[in-house]
Amino acid sequence: MVEQRLDATFAALADPTRRGMLAQLSAGERSIGALAEPYRMSFAGAAKHVAVLERAGLIERRKAGRQQLCRLRAAPLAEAEAWLRQWQRFWGESLDRLEALIAEEQERAT
Amino acid sequence: MTQPIATGRTVTLTRRFAATPERLFDAWLDPADVRRFLFATPGGEMMTVEIDPRVGGDALIVECRGDRQALHRLRYEAIERPHRLVFLFKACIVGGPVADEWTRVTVAIVPDGDGAQLTLTHEGVWPDFEDKTREGWTMILASLADL
Repeated sequence: MVEQRLDATFAALADPTRRGMLAQLSAGERSIGALAEPYRMSFAGAAKHVAVLERAGLIERRKAGRQQLCRLRAAPLAEAEAWLRQWQRFWGESLDRLEALIAEEQERAT
Repeated sequence: MTQPIATGRTVTLTRRFAATPERLFDAWLDPADVRRFLFATPGGEMMTVEIDPRVGGDALIVECRGDRQALHRLRYEAIERPHRLVFLFKACIVGGPVADEWTRVTVAIVPDGDGAQLTLTHEGVWPDFEDKTREGWTMILASLADL
């Protein structure tokens, strides 16, 4: 279900640490240790956040020797963004008409 | 007491208008203006615009879109002319499933040179996933996509 995926995406994004991790990953693959670094966080703490991101399908993991490397998956983010954009459009269209209404009124006044 | 609303996402839009804050504010409560801009869709026919512009008052805006009627309910929580308007909001298609929970819309207006800047914030746009609610919102979003 699109709705359930969106729910998982938004829940995963509701945390500043996880958003920061995604921002790091947008620059390329990172190990869990590297993701933990900016937050002065234990490996286990970082691994918990990584697990949430992984469950939401926002990242995927692969083994590289003794390390686990994380990589961004863009599809769920794009879906969440598209959903919010629909709402932006919903209100945006009302504001467009309000703008037109006011412009028309001012033309009549001049 | 504050009405609890659906837990959900927040959508924010900001727009500058070539109008005084007062003019901009009044458009949201004036039935003639509302009829023309709020929830009006191209090809749709506005059937009902009833506004009780006081705190605790309700508004009902119904637009006929082909064989469907889109119903919008508002309940005013704060009316502070010309800077702030807050209303609870829910929408549905008549005959379709009804969203149980309110969402909240805040319209904030500040002067900006010879015009005014309006910021609209819609909170709770992610209703819980009760089937009824989900279907209701899916229908609204589908009808939005038809616009």
